[in-house]
Amino acid sequence: MQSQQEHAFEFTGKGWEYFRIWIVNLLLSILTLGIYSAWAKVRRLQYFYRNTRLAGAGFEYHGTPIAILKGRIIAFVLLLAYTIAGQTNPLMAILIFVLLAGVMPWLIVRSLRFKLYNSSYRGLRFGFAGSDGAAYAVFLLFPILTVLTLYLLAPFTHYKIKQYQHNNSRFGDTFFRFDATSGNFYGIYLKALGLLVLAGVFFGISAALHMPVLMLVLPLFYLYIAGFLSVRLPNLIWDKTGLGEHDLYSRMEVGKYLWIAFTNLLGIVFTLGLYIPFAQIRMSRYKFSCMGLLAQGDLAEFVAGQAQSDSATGEETAEMFDLDISL
Amino acid sequence: MIAAQYFDGMTAAAQVVTLTLDGEWLQLRGEVLAHEWPLRDVKVSERLGDTPRRIEFSDGSHCEVTDHAALDVLLKQGGYRSSWLDGMQHSMRWALLSAVFIVLIFAAAYRYLLPLGAEVVAQSIPPKMLQKMGASSLQTLDKLMLEPSKLAPERQQALRAAYARLAALPDAQLAYRIEFRSAPQIGPNAFALPDGNIVMLDELVVLTQDDDEILAVLAHERGHVEQRHALRMVLQSSAVGLAMTWYMGDVSSLLATVPAMLVQASYSRDMEREADEYAARTLQLNAKSPCLLPDILQKLEAAHAKRQAEARKENGGSVMDYLASHPATQERSALLCPAH
Repeated sequence: MQSQQEHAFEFTGKGWEYFRIWIVNLLLSILTLGIYSAWAKVRRLQYFYRNTRLAGAGFEYHGTPIAILKGRIIAFVLLLAYTIAGQTNPLMAILIFVLLAGVMPWLIVRSLRFKLYNSSYRGLRFGFAGSDGAAYAVFLLFPILTVLTLYLLAPFTHYKIKQYQHNNSRFGDTFFRFDATSGNFYGIYLKALGLLVLAGVFFGISAALHMPVLMLVLPLFYLYIAGFLSVRLPNLIWDKTGLGEHDLYSRMEVGKYLWIAFTNLLGIVFTLGLYIPFAQIRMSRYKFSCMGLLAQGDLAEFVAGQAQSDSATGEETAEMFDLDISL
Repeated sequence: MIAAQYFDGMTAAAQVVTLTLDGEWLQLRGEVLAHEWPLRDVKVSERLGDTPRRIEFSDGSHCEVTDHAALDVLLKQGGYRSSWLDGMQHSMRWALLSAVFIVLIFAAAYRYLLPLGAEVVAQSIPPKMLQKMGASSLQTLDKLMLEPSKLAPERQQALRAAYARLAALPDAQLAYRIEFRSAPQIGPNAFALPDGNIVMLDELVVLTQDDDEILAVLAHERGHVEQRHALRMVLQSSAVGLAMTWYMGDVSSLLATVPAMLVQASYSRDMEREADEYAARTLQLNAKSPCLLPDILQKLEAAHAKRQAEARKENGGSVMDYLASHPATQERSALLCPAH
């Protein structure tokens, strides 16, 4: 057994510094009716990637604004087609909806490939090797089954999506692995459901006692449940993700996360949105401060031995575009 | 000489190197490395805060530099020009200027774009929807503040007949009916529902002996309906609601706000002027004097002033004021019948 080395992520972005970049790009995006937002997005991602550091080196984003613009035009055209069809002919709308559902998994795979191929660490690119067939199962079949089973299958579907994404991602020529079980996902979702039931009971009691004041606590319940899911799910997903023989971890805490999210919201509301860049920086700083890599043996040795994967050729990427799909 | 980290793009190993400029050539020296590249073939990433800058070479390798000042000097020597955005993205003055610009743009959009959007959307709401909105508004108002009319049925019938005889302008889109109601706490008033029905309160009918004056008020309200003033006001009051209505074609979210809007009737001065003008044209078409409207307006104003004085005496409160948003009655009177 080799000794384990812990390498924490670090986020070095600064609020005021990012604010200046953000606001100038926002103005240009507004003045160009949104077209420049593709350039703004590239800058945002570059700023965040470069400020995310692990073991003395930062990440890099290589996406080009034109590729992002292409993706946005595609998304815009699809949405427009759906809207217009929906207003003229319901049958046509259903047809377009089915068509959209049919191409969505294919688009998601392109988008994931784009995102990973355009990310690098120490000059080596990430990559995505997921097949289209598996994508149709994960992004179309399981979601349909989820709806048909009245969402009983939702945690399982979430598990399959993450498994597909992480097992098919690689850094250089080493693949990531995903060791979670569907049971892990059901555990977290069931706890959230338990909290929801508790909120319902609480609501019942306060109604029975004719104490509407108690109901003011109810929003706090829902806030806590939302925070619980946004912390425990990423924690689980990253804890069970590894790269080769190395393990990743995430140790966010619900209380701290909620505090940052809540104060961020207040800041954004009271500054009419000007606090947004500061809020994004704060949240990234917290998230990455809780994440890290547990290396088996010497990370430097592993990293130095990594080679660029052969399949990351230019031809495969030439036709690619990005879609703003966050999973 | 600049310290940098070199990555060959084939492996993830970092090598410490130094960069120097020799004429047009960028020299790269490491422990076991020696490369040189023409500076014009080298891609230098733009400055982005304090993040390391990348110098990319044509063979897929690259350098990362954190010594910004030294790199700037080197690039300047090499005649490398930074983009026009570089200075803007890093200056506090441009940041503040941008913030001011953005606020101005949003304010202008709110002032000019929102009313325009509201008008377009309001005009495109189908008649079926308008009927639904009218019926539900009347229902709500009946429940909350309206009472059945105490006018004699013959009087109601006479007014209905007179109104039916009032010829509509050729571009009129809606059918019109009068609903008689009473509402002591509102006072003399009439308001138009989105479907074209007009609620006429007893308190207004008893204010005048001249039926033509009542017709003038009805013509004015008709102007509000034809130009969708109430809907425009509702749509304008919430940009989010407007976007939803436009995108989803769903007006049901507006239903709840229409009744309150109708009673408060805080139309803009421009809208009142449009309705006045509509009324004047209707009256002229029917060979009636456009001065009828100012006449009844003056009576309304007097009645409301009296009510307000009474209310103030009684409990210090104020009643809803029909004339609050109306342009000064004298001004309107002068516009409608200059000879008056």
